[in-house]
Amino acid sequence: MNSGFAHAAIISTLYTALIFLIAWYAHRRKETGRSIVDNPYVYSLSIAVYCTSWTFYGSVGKAATTGLDFLMIYVGPSLTAFSWFFLLRRIVRISKENNITSIADFISLRYGKSLWLGALVSLISILGIMPYIALQIRAVSTSFYLISGFQANRIHIPHNGTELTVPTGMLLALILSVFSIIFGARRLASSERHEGLIAAVAFESLVKLVSLLGVGIFVTYYLYDGFGDIFTRFHAARPELFEQLFTFGGARNDPDYIPSFTMLSMSMAAIMLLPRQFHVMVIENSDERHITKAMWLFPAYLFLINLFVMPIAMGGIMTTGSSSGADFFVISIPLLSGHGPIALLAFLGGLSAAAGMVMVESVAISTMLLNNIFMPVIVRFTPQPWFPYLLINLKRLGIFLVIFLGYFYYRMVGDTYMLVNMGLISFSAACQFLPAMLGGLYWKRGNKTGAITGILFGFLIWTYTLLLPSFSKSGWLGTDLLTKGPFGIGLLKPTELFGLSNMDLWSHSLFWSMLFNVSAYIFCSILLRQDEAEREQVQRFIGIYDLERAYDHPAETKRLSKPVTISQFVNLMAKFIGEADAHKAISSHLGNREIRPDGNVSEFELPNLKRFAEKTLAGSVGAAAAGAIVESFLSDMGSRMESVYDIFSSVRTSLDQSREALYVRLKASEIINRTLDLQIIMDDLLSLLLKEFRLDVAIIQLRNGNGTLAVKSYQGSNRRPINQNHWFMENAAYWDMAMLDRKPHFVNDTSQIEATINLEQTLAEGIVSCAYLPIFREGEPSLGVLSVFSKSITGIFTEEFISLLCSLAGQLAQAATIVREMEAKEHERNEKEQALLEKARVMRDMEIAQQIQISLLPDAAPETFGIDLAGRCISAAHVGGDYYDFFKRDSQTIDLLIADVSGHSVGAALIMAEVRTLLRAQVNSANSASAILQLLNSQLYDDLTRAELFITMFYAKYNSATGRLSFANAGHNRPMISREGEQLCIELDTEGLILGVKTSVVFEERSFELKSGDVLLFYTDGLTEARNDRDVLFGNERVCALLGTQRHLPAREIIESFYTAVRDFTASETFQDDISLVVLKIL
Amino acid sequence: MTNRLRNKLLRRLQFRESWVILFVVGFIMMNFPFLHIFNKPSTIFGYPLMFLYFFLGWAVSIFVIYLFTLAVSHTADKTPENPQQ
Repeated sequence: MNSGFAHAAIISTLYTALIFLIAWYAHRRKETGRSIVDNPYVYSLSIAVYCTSWTFYGSVGKAATTGLDFLMIYVGPSLTAFSWFFLLRRIVRISKENNITSIADFISLRYGKSLWLGALVSLISILGIMPYIALQIRAVSTSFYLISGFQANRIHIPHNGTELTVPTGMLLALILSVFSIIFGARRLASSERHEGLIAAVAFESLVKLVSLLGVGIFVTYYLYDGFGDIFTRFHAARPELFEQLFTFGGARNDPDYIPSFTMLSMSMAAIMLLPRQFHVMVIENSDERHITKAMWLFPAYLFLINLFVMPIAMGGIMTTGSSSGADFFVISIPLLSGHGPIALLAFLGGLSAAAGMVMVESVAISTMLLNNIFMPVIVRFTPQPWFPYLLINLKRLGIFLVIFLGYFYYRMVGDTYMLVNMGLISFSAACQFLPAMLGGLYWKRGNKTGAITGILFGFLIWTYTLLLPSFSKSGWLGTDLLTKGPFGIGLLKPTELFGLSNMDLWSHSLFWSMLFNVSAYIFCSILLRQDEAEREQVQRFIGIYDLERAYDHPAETKRLSKPVTISQFVNLMAKFIGEADAHKAISSHLGNREIRPDGNVSEFELPNLKRFAEKTLAGSVGAAAAGAIVESFLSDMGSRMESVYDIFSSVRTSLDQSREALYVRLKASEIINRTLDLQIIMDDLLSLLLKEFRLDVAIIQLRNGNGTLAVKSYQGSNRRPINQNHWFMENAAYWDMAMLDRKPHFVNDTSQIEATINLEQTLAEGIVSCAYLPIFREGEPSLGVLSVFSKSITGIFTEEFISLLCSLAGQLAQAATIVREMEAKEHERNEKEQALLEKARVMRDMEIAQQIQISLLPDAAPETFGIDLAGRCISAAHVGGDYYDFFKRDSQTIDLLIADVSGHSVGAALIMAEVRTLLRAQVNSANSASAILQLLNSQLYDDLTRAELFITMFYAKYNSATGRLSFANAGHNRPMISREGEQLCIELDTEGLILGVKTSVVFEERSFELKSGDVLLFYTDGLTEARNDRDVLFGNERVCALLGTQRHLPAREIIESFYTAVRDFTASETFQDDISLVVLKIL
Repeated sequence: MTNRLRNKLLRRLQFRESWVILFVVGFIMMNFPFLHIFNKPSTIFGYPLMFLYFFLGWAVSIFVIYLFTLAVSHTADKTPENPQQ
C-alpha cells in the first residue's frame, strides 16, 4: 500500500463522514420542523442526481471520441423541462393524492392497481438499471486506482497471517449499500420524504458541479489560455479530429457512434422515467411550486456542468496524445500535469456523482421491489405483528440486491463499453415505460392489457437486442449469437433483428422495442375493454385537471356489503405500518368527520375510510399491494365492495343533481300543489316513487291525534290488511328511531342486519333493502314516517337518493301541515256554528219559558170594589224568580202576594211555577196569611233544599169592607204605604223566616187599617238595590219619595213611573235584577 | 413602455400553447435539418460553429424557460385564486 492509496482512502472517509453529517443535520431540522430541504434550490440540486459519474467522467470520454453529440444527453432533459409545468406537476399532484411510492406504483395505479404491471415495471427497473449501477462502480473503482496509483483491482488486507483479498468494486458496493440503507431505508413509509437523503444528494450535486467546474477552469485557464486558445491550438494540432468532434456524423464509422436523435429521445424520456429521477422529482417533492423554479435551475445546472467538458476533452487529447482512456481525463489531466489536489477534487466529484446516484436509485428500486414483488406474495399470508420488521428488512435486502446486481454486471461486462454507452442501455430500458406513462396521463382508452403487453414486448426486445449483446460482447455468452443469430437464423440476430442492419446497437434496439411497445399498447387498448377499477383511475389521472371540482368529491358509486368498524381498519393498518402510525393516521383522517354514536362512521363514509386505509398502506407497501391487502381483509370479514345501483344514471347537471332527481322533485311538487286532499297527495307521491325508482313497497304513516302512528297510504306489492301481524310491523324499531331522532334510517342489505333487530317476516317477503324517512318540518316534531322497500336492489340507498327522499318527506310534511291546519280551522268554524245554533235554540226555549212565565203572572188584577190594583214584573233575564199573584176570595176579600225566588235561573222560574201551583191549591184550604206561608214552607222545604234555593214572600189579605189588611212576611222586603199628608212611608213590618230554611216555621201575622187614599207598594229587592254607575243604590228613600209624588196616579201608571225612574237612575234600559211591583190603591 | 412590453410578453407566455410550441421548436432545433445548417467544421473567432450553436441556443432556451416561470409567478401574483392558468 502506498501513500496515494492512504490519501485517497482518508479523503474518501472524511468526505463520507461530511455527507453523513449533512444528512443527519437535515434529518434533525426536519424533525424540528425547520426543513433545509424544503426549497426550490435543493429540489433542483436533487434533480441533478441525473448527472452521475457518467456525466462526470463519461461526458468527457464521449466528447473526446465522438464529439459534441454527448450534449444530447443534457439538451434532452433541458427540453423536457419545458413540459414540466403541466406534465410533472400533474404527476406530482396525482402521486401526492395517492401516496405513490415509485414509478412502478404510479403506472400500476393508473392501470387499475394491477399487481402484474407493478411487478413487471419493477423487474424491468432492476434489470434495466444494472448497467447504470455497474457504470458507477466501474467509474469509481477506476478513478480510485488512478488517484491512488494503485493498479491492481483488489485490496489486500493482512488478516491472521494470511492476506484477505477484497475486490475494490465489491468493497465500494458494500459501502454504498450501507450508505443507502442508512439514508433511505430507516423507515418503512416510502411515500414519506427522505430529507437526509435529499440533503446528501443535493450536497453531492453541488460538489460535483464545483469539482467539474474546478477541473474545467484549471484546464481551460491554467493549462491553456481560455476557450479561444484551446480551440485554436486543438484546431492547429489535430485538424481532422477537430472536424470530427465538432460536426455530427463525422464519426459514423466508429462502433460507438450513436445518432444524436437516438440520444436526444432517450434522454428526454429518461429524465422523467428513470426510477431515481421519478423518486427525487415526484416522491421527494415537498411543494408543487418548486417545480416552476427547477424548470430553469436544473437546465442551468446541466449547462454549467457541461460548459467545460469540451475543453477538458481537447486538453486531454493534447496532453495524452490520444483519446484512449478519455473517460478519465478529468483525473488523468491534473495527475499528468502534476496537480494532485486538483485530481483529488475531481475524484471527490466523481465519487459524489456515483454515490448520489447509487443511493437514490437503490432506494427507489428497493421500494419498488418491496411493494410490487415482495408485497403481493406477503399479502397472501395473514398479517402478523412482526410484519413491519419483515418489511423494513426486505427493503434493506432490496438495496443490497440492486447494488450487487450492478456489481455483478460490472464484473461480467467489465470494460467492454464506454461509460456513456453502458448508461444508454439503462436509458433504453427506462424508455419502455414511456408509452404506458404518457398514454396513462393523456389517453383515456389506454388499458391494463395494453400497458402490460406493450411494456413486456418492449422489455423482451430490449433484453434481446441490447442486454444480451452486452453480455456476449464481453465474452460471457460467446459471440456466436451475435454473428450467426440464434440457431443460425440470421433474421433473428440480436443486433440485426429482422434484417435491419447498418444501424447502431442503441438506435436499433430503441426502434424495435418502441415499435413493438407502442403498437402492442395501442392495439390492445383499442381492442380490449378497461375493467371497472381502471375506469375509476382513468377518471383520477386524466380528469385531475379538467374535473378539479369533481375530483375533490369523487362520487362514490361503491358500497361495502357488510359494514366494517373503524377499529378493524386500524388493526389492519397497524399490522403493516405499526400501531402508533396507524392511530396517528386514522385520527388525522377522522378529524372533523361525523362519527355515529356507536363509534362508527356512516355507511356513506365507509368507502372513503376504506380508500383512506388503502392510501395509507400504499404509502408503505405500494398501491397495488395495498389494494390487495384491503381486498383480502374485506373478504375475510365477509364483506366486499359492490357496485351501487345507480338510480340517477343519466348525465349529472351542473347542480350536482341528476336529471332524474330533478324530475322527481318537480313531479312531487306538482302533486303536492295540485290538491289539498292529503290522501291523494300521499297516494300519488308513493306511486311516483314506485314508478321512478325501483322500489316495491312504499308506505306513509302519520301520527294520529293520540300520537300513535297509523298507515295512511300503502302503495306497491305485498299488501295485506294492516294489523298487528302485518310484516311491516316488524320495522317498528326503525320508524320509531326515525320519528325520534328525525334522521333517515336505512338498511341497504337486509341479509346483513344485526341480530338485535328481527326482520324475519320482512326478509320472507323478499325485501332486500329498506329506508325510513321521518316526515317533519324543520324544528318541529315528526308528523310521521315514509318507509320505502326494494325487493331487487341491495344498496339502492345512496347518499344522494336518501337526500332526495328526505327532501320529498319534507315536502310532504309541509303539505300535511297545511292540510291539517286547514282542517283544524274548518273544525273550529263548525263548532262555532253549532254553539250559535245551540244558543239560539236555548234562547228560543228561554223565550218560550219567558212567555209561559209571564202568562203565569196575572195579566190583570181581579176587579174589586174600592181598590185600584195593578202588578207587573220585568225580568232581568228571560226568566226570573219573581212572582206576584192575586186571588179573589169573595167580592170583598182579595189575597195578594209577592215573592222572590233567589237567583234568576230557570230553576228559580220552575220553583216559582211550583209555588204558584201550590198556592192555587192552598188558597181555599187555609185562611190566614201566616198559615198559608207556613204551609208553603213545609211543602216547599225539600224542593228548595235540593235546589239550594230559597224564597222570600210577603202575603197579604185585604178586606175592602173593613179596610183591614192582614199580612205575614217570609223575609221579603217590607211593602210601603204612602198616606195622604204624611211625608214618610209606613212600612209593613212583621217577623218571619225565609221559606226553605227550616222545615217548620211559625210566621207572625199582623194587620193594618188602610184608609182611603192610601197607596201600597209591594216590591222585590231589584227595585231598592238597583245601582247607578256611581255605585249608589236606588234605596228605600227614593222609593218612598217617588211613591209620595206619584200617588195621585192610577196604580198602573205608578208602576210605570217606577220603572221609568229606575231606568233613569241606572241610565240603562235593562235591569240588573228582576223587578216586580204591585201597587194597591185604596180609593 | 418597456414595462408594457414586458407585461405583454409575459401574458403571451402564460398560454399553455406557448409552452408546447417552444418545446416542439426546441426539439426541431436539436435535430436535422437544423443541425445540418451548423454541421460545418468552420469557426467563428476560433470557436467551432456547432459549439456556439449548441451553447448559445441552450442558454437562450434556459432564458426562455426563466421568462416562462416569471410569467407564471406574474399571473399567480395577479390572480392568486387561479394559479394554474
